[in-house]
Amino acid sequence: MKRLTLLFSLLFMCVSLAFSQRQVTGTVEDNSGNPIPGASVIVVGTSSGTVTDIEGNFAISVSSGDQLEFSFVGYESQTVTVGAQSTLTITLAESTEFLDEIVVSGYQTQTRKSLSGAIASVDVNNAVKTPVINAAEMLQGRVTGVSIINSGQPGAAPIVRVRGYGTPNNNSPLYVIDGVQTDDAYVLSSLSPSDIEQINVLKDASAAIYGARASNGVIVITTKSGSYNTKNTVTFESYVGSSKAVGLPTLLNAQQHGDMIWQSKVNDGVTPNHPQYGTGGSPNVPSSLQGTPAGISTTVNPNGTDWLDAIFDPGLAQQYKFSVSSGNANSRFMMSMEYLDRQGAQIMTGYKTGRTRMNAEFKVNDRITIGEHLNVTYDSERGGNQVQAAYRSSPLIPLYDNDGNYAGGYGTPLGLGNVGNPYATLKRTEDDFQKSFRAFGDVYANVNIIKGLDYKVVFGGMMRDLANRRFVVKNPEHSEPRSTNTLYEQSFRQYNWNITNTLNYKANFDNHSIDALLGYEALSNNFKGHEISRNDYLFETPNFYLLSNGAGTPVVQWGNANAYTISSTFLTVNYAYNNRYLVTATVRQDNTSRFSKANADAIFPSASFGWVLSEEDFYSSDNYMKLRVSYGTLGNQSLGRTAPDQNISNLSEANAYYPFDGSSASTGAALSAVGNPDLQWETVVSANAGLDFRLMDNKLYGSVDYFNITTNDLIAVDESLIGTTAIDASAPLVNIGQVSNTGIELALNYADATSGGLSYDVGFNLSTYTNTVDSLISAFYVGNSGFRGGAVTRTSPGEPMSYFYGRRVLGLDGSGRFEYEDVNGDGSINDDDRTKIGSPHPDFTFGVNVSLAYKNFDLYAFFAGSVGNDIYHYNKIYTHFPTFFNGNRHEDVLDSWTPSNTDTDFPALSESIRNDETQPNSWFVEDGSYVKLKTLQIGYTLPSSATSKLGISNARIYVAGNNLLTLSKYSGMDPEIGGSPLTLGVDSGAYPQASLTSLGINVTF
Amino acid sequence: MKNLKTLILSLSLVLFITNACNESFTEVPAYGALSDESLANATGIDLLLTGTYSVLDGQTNTQGGWTSSGDNWWMDVISDDAHKGSTDGDQADLYEIEVFNWGTGNGYWLGLWKAPFSGVNRANAVINLINSADEDYPVLMAQARFLRAHFNMQLLLKFGNVPNITPERAAALEYNLPNSGETQLTWADIEADLQFAVANLPSSRSGSYSEPGRPLSHGAKAYLGKAYLYQGKWAEASSSLDAVIGSGAYSLNPEYVENFKSSGENSSESVFAIQFASDGGVSNQGNKGGTLNFPAGGPIGSCCGFYQPTQDLVDAFQTDANGLPLLDTYQNTHVTNDYRVASSDPFTLHTGNLDPRLDYTAGRRGIDYNGWGPAAGKDWIRASFDDISGPYLSKKNMYHAGDDANRGTGGWGEQRSGINYHFMRYSDVLLMAAEAAVETGSISKALGYVNQVRNRAKNSTPPDSQPTYVIEPYTSFASADYARKAVRFERRLELGMEGHRLFDLRRWGNAASVMNTYFAKEAEVVTSFARGQSYQGKHDLFPIPIVAIDQSQGVIAQNSGY
Repeated sequence: MKRLTLLFSLLFMCVSLAFSQRQVTGTVEDNSGNPIPGASVIVVGTSSGTVTDIEGNFAISVSSGDQLEFSFVGYESQTVTVGAQSTLTITLAESTEFLDEIVVSGYQTQTRKSLSGAIASVDVNNAVKTPVINAAEMLQGRVTGVSIINSGQPGAAPIVRVRGYGTPNNNSPLYVIDGVQTDDAYVLSSLSPSDIEQINVLKDASAAIYGARASNGVIVITTKSGSYNTKNTVTFESYVGSSKAVGLPTLLNAQQHGDMIWQSKVNDGVTPNHPQYGTGGSPNVPSSLQGTPAGISTTVNPNGTDWLDAIFDPGLAQQYKFSVSSGNANSRFMMSMEYLDRQGAQIMTGYKTGRTRMNAEFKVNDRITIGEHLNVTYDSERGGNQVQAAYRSSPLIPLYDNDGNYAGGYGTPLGLGNVGNPYATLKRTEDDFQKSFRAFGDVYANVNIIKGLDYKVVFGGMMRDLANRRFVVKNPEHSEPRSTNTLYEQSFRQYNWNITNTLNYKANFDNHSIDALLGYEALSNNFKGHEISRNDYLFETPNFYLLSNGAGTPVVQWGNANAYTISSTFLTVNYAYNNRYLVTATVRQDNTSRFSKANADAIFPSASFGWVLSEEDFYSSDNYMKLRVSYGTLGNQSLGRTAPDQNISNLSEANAYYPFDGSSASTGAALSAVGNPDLQWETVVSANAGLDFRLMDNKLYGSVDYFNITTNDLIAVDESLIGTTAIDASAPLVNIGQVSNTGIELALNYADATSGGLSYDVGFNLSTYTNTVDSLISAFYVGNSGFRGGAVTRTSPGEPMSYFYGRRVLGLDGSGRFEYEDVNGDGSINDDDRTKIGSPHPDFTFGVNVSLAYKNFDLYAFFAGSVGNDIYHYNKIYTHFPTFFNGNRHEDVLDSWTPSNTDTDFPALSESIRNDETQPNSWFVEDGSYVKLKTLQIGYTLPSSATSKLGISNARIYVAGNNLLTLSKYSGMDPEIGGSPLTLGVDSGAYPQASLTSLGINVTF
Repeated sequence: MKNLKTLILSLSLVLFITNACNESFTEVPAYGALSDESLANATGIDLLLTGTYSVLDGQTNTQGGWTSSGDNWWMDVISDDAHKGSTDGDQADLYEIEVFNWGTGNGYWLGLWKAPFSGVNRANAVINLINSADEDYPVLMAQARFLRAHFNMQLLLKFGNVPNITPERAAALEYNLPNSGETQLTWADIEADLQFAVANLPSSRSGSYSEPGRPLSHGAKAYLGKAYLYQGKWAEASSSLDAVIGSGAYSLNPEYVENFKSSGENSSESVFAIQFASDGGVSNQGNKGGTLNFPAGGPIGSCCGFYQPTQDLVDAFQTDANGLPLLDTYQNTHVTNDYRVASSDPFTLHTGNLDPRLDYTAGRRGIDYNGWGPAAGKDWIRASFDDISGPYLSKKNMYHAGDDANRGTGGWGEQRSGINYHFMRYSDVLLMAAEAAVETGSISKALGYVNQVRNRAKNSTPPDSQPTYVIEPYTSFASADYARKAVRFERRLELGMEGHRLFDLRRWGNAASVMNTYFAKEAEVVTSFARGQSYQGKHDLFPIPIVAIDQSQGVIAQNSGY
């Protein structure tokens, strides 16, 4: 809107010359006397106007008695009646009027006060005060109804959900970054957070302008672009910190591990003995591993190896960023360069990236503006997670043998398990890499056709090139040593583009204002890639790692290409009467390549109404109060498959070829995916009612929203259709039923300052949703069946999606085994005694922000939490049960049931899994409520008296801590658990969260 | 007016772009994929038929590895022929199965259940494609129906109560059917497919039907005989199997061991086999399901030490002075073994009389291990003395030294061997015919068949020079009972470690008594094996995996007892 205002102002200025009568000059400045460049000066009631220059000066022709309106974004407008004076000095007060804030809601911009949809915005300034690695972190806990789960692994894509889980299908919102559209959450890692000017989340039918891609919400991100008529602004920001893993469990030491093995065998009625711990009444921790191959000697640490300690080591985090912005009368720019290096808390893992951005806009003439946004990043990700291997590793094995080679379980049965040395596994990835080059951006042109009518064309695109190399070296110390080494090389290219044409008409007549937009858009998304491996390399040195250097036969691991396209037409009309009554109506038609022709089209209408109560005459107070109601239909076509309507068969060397003569394979084919020509759009009916308010002199402000989102024709893979008795193809996507989410979102803020100079701002937000499956085409739906013991979650009508399903453990019986509830009362315990044993959905989630400022000091704290959700602690099958007998266990098992220790929750130890105790049951379900102190930061702004001599306009240093404290009864590493929609809340071994402490500086020149 | 024109012009432009792009822009092909149309021809039928054969090894798009292994190796682990091998905690799910602690969530059942259904339905897809074609393709159809019968037979023998997914039901995506009532799979369904195969498959290999991996009509008839045998239709079984024998299509290899080497692969003894090709270890055509079943340790660089023969199986190879097996008494004496003897400690070989097939079936200390030198005992055994798996190595699935065509060593020392697995070889046909002959009262015919098998063993080159091999044909069968006992015992000796034993015991109805005796006898030697196992009636069928029941929405019912 700022841009448009300026554009309009310029246009008006040209016109005004013709009517020139008398020249008035002056200066516009802020409260401190600093000039405000770029402020607009308009003769009220006419189309003439100008903008201030870089010194804040203006000149305008007026008639006596004219009113001049001075305005600038972030300041309160002021109207002055021109008298006899020929020079004016206008002081604009900084606006606390957040209502004038321009909100980029997609194809259009609107002021907040003209909005009638549920659009939440992030306080970007607060969000970037602390080190944030990606834009998703900025959303976390700061926006009601938006939940973010960041992996502890640096560089991994965050999970972003808007208003709960509406679909078993893709739940990712659509991201609109300037002119680029994507639902790939990785894009958030490519954006430099402090380049962001605005993040707005379209949560209700206001997203309908994005039609078929909008049902999971739309996140509109606008980047900074400099301002016209400004001098160069240079900023520098940097931080250095250290991250370390938090929440790691305590595992048994060597003696305890031996005791655990002894007790297990005693419980099983077996006379204890062990290749390492010997024989007799109690285990003896050996001084060296017993039975190692000839020539290998080892030294066992008397306490054993703490494998978690071995694979975690504080990682360095550092970031440096420069940005420059500038503008003159006809152009404006912003460019930034950033280098970020976040080493993981787990050794050898981390994320490094160089990010650059160049935004520019040019006024070619009075009518045409062209511009571009370009973001280019290069990043290097180092993954790997050996937490589960650490659980499974015997504490007896040292990191190295006495010759300095990695130690392991060796080839013979030494009672050391058969997992690879987790430390060695990580260290050996040193020469592996995954690098991607990503560029995204857009070019646009805006043509002012006639007054009020603009044509805009945007061409946006994104491209990602990925190169991944893994070299799997030989591991002679392993109990199952590799006989050969193998190089894997993967590469793919992903690109998408979209072209958007819009006609926008804006007009004001008396008290009526209209803003209408007609558009056409086409979007294409493409992927192509492959992975090739080859084994048998003579040398294990990186400069030898070329596919051409292997002696084995090259193998194509996979090769794949796919694409999809969408074309859309849309119309939206905003009408406002007297700033009091607001109406928005939108209709969008989408056509996708994903469905069969008959079902490819869909139309998504929506409407919203706003009523600014406080503008009414009967409303006497100064408060602001707006009621909003919206209703509309949105769609979802973001499926995991590009041609779900067709049966797909493939030639498959692995699974369809056959060597009829016992030596050479003949080509064969098999069905790999079953199509569903009847598949149709998943549609969402979204209703929202909200109230925005600003009370007590704007000190207290906030909003309340009630929403009801019903997802019809849910798309899901139907495994009851292509289940275990079917052909070995992926089951078809089918419209399976209906899910509704209803909830309330509350955001409250209180800001004030004391007479003593302490200013404070306290924000609180709360979101709650109730998820209900209204109908399904079948009685129930099972979640991921890939867990040991079968699916943990189930979805059925009348219940929330993905509740935990299994046996209910009543306690321990007389032999320390689980006693299960006989749910069906038939006198025997079997699979028919399973029932609902928990829900991953929280009663509510909340965030609390506290900002304090006193003189040059500032403090910021941010808490986030979740209450009432359960977690299925699946990892306990490794840490509490003999899933891998010789592996390690959690220290909890020291309190296991024995005949003399019956007052315990931990079942009797055993060498094998008894009584089906690792099949899904309520013993694994825990309360997942938590409160986290996500951020705590203390900053100090250097006095300007000191900095101005250096040409510095602002300099601030800070210390910050992220993820400092978690209060939770949950016994796992981290209560923030994600999961796919039908398998929520199952903790199955994520990369642990890290806490980061850092020291940083921000300088503006 | 001019403004209006501009507006109209702009609108037209937008609408023009819209219409111009809409139609073709949103038609995107599925890259690299074969559509139904592109497969609707003779080439397509052939591709899908090859894809059906490809599932014989148990490796499918959604199921892989050893749980679904086509060679049924871990069926022997459930029987008295084999231990799981390796340490108890390695593949703990299989440990639970061997000690008869059968949970419905055990991942092994799921693999075993899913893969044959993939086979049935890949065959159904071929059948449906042929039915919709303009031409008849009787030979292709016969192969498809033969394979369908093969997979269905695997399901029926393992799980008992399974749904019958017919081609018509598959075409309508009606895969989720009750495993009882009219949709339950019966032997009649299998017989119908096999009868079609008998009638339409070529009776010899020539021309376009020369590849040894495809079944002959005689092979289909042998399968039909097997189906009759399981139903106790003795007369039909006898006539079918006799006819196969009489056809002369098959004959025994002169050397027993040739069945497990490249040189004897696809010989006249092979009736139907999974064709495996090792291809240097990177191939997907090697035996991935049997990956773990090789010595861990020793000079070969192989892995994982699974699938170890039992002491009980080894004991069964003892012979008396007449070279005949100790039908009733073999468990009274144990072949000398090196259980709990370190390789560095001395060991004296068993000196009693033995059937030479022992040393082609079980690797034991001091005896040549498939040309790789004398087995070293404990050093080549991964299981520790505290594990349940005893002192022996499997041999039939292990490539011989120098047989590099069958050797396939993959990345972590896993083996993808090229040794074909025989679903049925001619000696199996002879012994099934003998079994049917006994039950139909033709004891002398049975004697002849059994002795053919024994004479081949007798006349084969001895596997090693040290043991005392004494083997002779039976001179006569004194009674039907004796004949029955001798025939059944011969199956174990001839076909040991080939995945048949469990199903034989179930067919004979004596699984519980044999297994419960075995638990006690085996533990006399392999003392760690005493884990309180018990074979109960319910164990005659495997539990239907919980995932299958859940995904069926309860349409599929659990077998009784689970």
